[in-house]
Order: sequence, then structure tokens, then C-alpha cells
Amino acid sequence: MNQVEYLNDMLVRLEELLYHELSGCAAWKVELVGIDFIQSKKIKGNTEEEVINNCIKEITGDGLVKSMTYSIGGKGILLNLKMKDCVHLPKEIRLKNDSIKPYICPIANMILDQLIEKLNYETTYLANLDINDKTGECKVKCAIYETPDKIGVVSDWGKTEP
Amino acid sequence: MGDILEVIKTRKSIRRYKPDPIPDEMLDKILEAARWAPTGENYQPWRLIVIKNPETKNEIGNLAKLGSGSRMTAWYCLGEMQRRFEEIQDPVRRAEVLRFMYSGEVSEFAKQAPVVIAVIGTLMEGSVDVPYDLSACIENILLEAHSLGLGACWVHGPVASTRDAAKFKKILKIPTGMGEYKVIAYIALGWPAEARKHPRPKKPLEEIVYWEEFGRKERS
Repeated sequence: MNQVEYLNDMLVRLEELLYHELSGCAAWKVELVGIDFIQSKKIKGNTEEEVINNCIKEITGDGLVKSMTYSIGGKGILLNLKMKDCVHLPKEIRLKNDSIKPYICPIANMILDQLIEKLNYETTYLANLDINDKTGECKVKCAIYETPDKIGVVSDWGKTEP
Repeated sequence: MGDILEVIKTRKSIRRYKPDPIPDEMLDKILEAARWAPTGENYQPWRLIVIKNPETKNEIGNLAKLGSGSRMTAWYCLGEMQRRFEEIQDPVRRAEVLRFMYSGEVSEFAKQAPVVIAVIGTLMEGSVDVPYDLSACIENILLEAHSLGLGACWVHGPVASTRDAAKFKKILKIPTGMGEYKVIAYIALGWPAEARKHPRPKKPLEEIVYWEEFGRKERS
């Protein structure tokens, strides 16, 4: 039995159900999905760069994602994540095929969680999840707010790419 | 039996309030209306926390600002907010409205409301369809408040994310276990200090009503 496939299939069913119950608001409820893995890794770091790089090392080291890069833009509040061949890609493709825009990225959730837990960031928000089923790439845009005064710091995110 | 259609049709979401207190007898009527909402299996999952303490209301207002602002800042940066408000023709006015939204200030109004009522539901064993029961309870509160001349607003956004809901529970000392209580919303309540242009346009019946089966528009 392929355990990853088995678990992804179960996730798809649960995500469909949650979306059916809550529509777009489902995406706001799922920020803790995936964080147990990264919390078990005892990530260290005193800066954004250290924490994110150490998360990526654990995520790729355990084979959850084959390769992963990131960049920070948008006056410091936009975290762009680019991943290739994530273990969860099949679930995202299946959701897309079922006409539900993928809304849970456990990998992004891990990094956002560690920014909050290790660097005491005020809040974060997974803003957009773009899946390319042909290339196996995912691009994720997250808002990261170090302090409350970062809320409202706006720019055009369309101009930044990882 | 009185027809309440006019009460329903004239209710608006009010976000600006006079500082005048709400008399206890009015508050009691509103809470009594909440108690009589329809509920599956007569479970009555609702628990209502009435908040008058300015410090607590400030904390809730700040949490609301953070929740809305964090999402709306991102939506603005993605261009989504601009599309939502493109019907505002005056560019200066549009920019003002957008800044009010993405700064989160749009959701701070719990600070000014004389009373905030947190609506939570018990998820203990035996509970069924708690969010639906709580929503019916909230509607009863809104209609009773409006019928008494008060203004109110149903606020879900600040407790919509899991982390924010946990913060909200902490402020009000609500047990935080995911199987204990659900925080669905709070209601800000007070004497209206605004006369909004509402009711906003509503979809006509012919657009939203089908007869006998999905999609059939001919009246049966």
C-alpha cells in the first residue's frame, strides 16, 4: 500500500467536506494543519532567514518536498514560497479537478508557524496557493506580519516572483 | 400575531454607536430573544457572554483589527480589494475606503459599542449542528435589537481563523479545547450613531427562488 497516496486521499475527502461546509472561509480555519511535523523538529533561529532556511532543511531532508526556495518582498510582508514535487501535490491536483481551489498548504503552514513560535510574529496569512500540475510546482504567497504596525503596509505583489 | 417583515427589511448592520448605555431591561429582552431561537433536538448549545468592560472591548477591537487587516492587506496587495470596490468612481474616496479596509480599522468598532455579546456554543457530546443553531440565535438578537431601536452588527471575521479564535477565547477565559466550545461570532450593540444608506440592494426573488426543483423559475 502506498501510504502517502492513502493519506492524501483522506485529506482530499476532508478538505472537500470542510469546503462544502464553510466555502471560502475554510481556508481561514486550517492554519495549524501540518505544524506538528515542524514543531517536532525543534527548529532554531534568531532571524527570519535562519528560521525559514532551517525549516526548509527539515522539509526537504525528510522528503516532503523535493526542492524549495523562498524570497521576501512586498516591503517585508510578502513571503513567496516555491516548491517542486511536494508529497501533497496529488491532493491539490485532485481538488482542482473537483473544482475546489486548493486551500491548505501544510508546508507553508509549517514555516508560518515557526515565524510565530520562534520569532514571535504577530500574525500570518496564507494568501494564495498556485498549483501547476504540469510542472509539479507550487507557488505560495503568504503575508507575514512581524508587528501589528505591518498591517496595512501595501504594495503590488503581482510584480514580485520568487 | 404581528407581521415582522418590516423589522426584517429595515435592519441594517450598524458599526457606529453613541456612548449612551443600553438599559438593562432592553438587554434582557435581547437575551430573551436569543434564548428562543430554533435549535436541533432542542439542544440549545448557545452560551452568551455579555461584555461591558472597556478594556475587554478594546482587546476584542484590536483582535478584530488584526484579523481583518491581515487578510485585507494581502487581498489588496493581490489586487482583489480594488476589484471589490471598483464601483466607487471617485478615486480619492475609493482610496480612503480601501485604506479603511486594509488597515483593519473597519473592524475595530467593538471598542465603541456599549455592549458586546460573544456568542459561543457547547460542542459537548450530544451536540448537533451547533453553528446553525448559533446563527439562528444571532439573527434573533439582531432583530430584537433593531425592533427596540438599537443598532447591532454580527462580526465573524475576527474569530474566523483558528489562532484568532484561540486568542478570543483566552480574552474571555473560554475553555480552549477544540471539542469544548465553538466561538462563532460576537455582536456589537448600541444606539446607532449613523444613518446608513441601507438596505443595500438585494437580489430579486426571481433570481433566488426556484419552484419544485433546482433551476425551475416558473411558479407552481
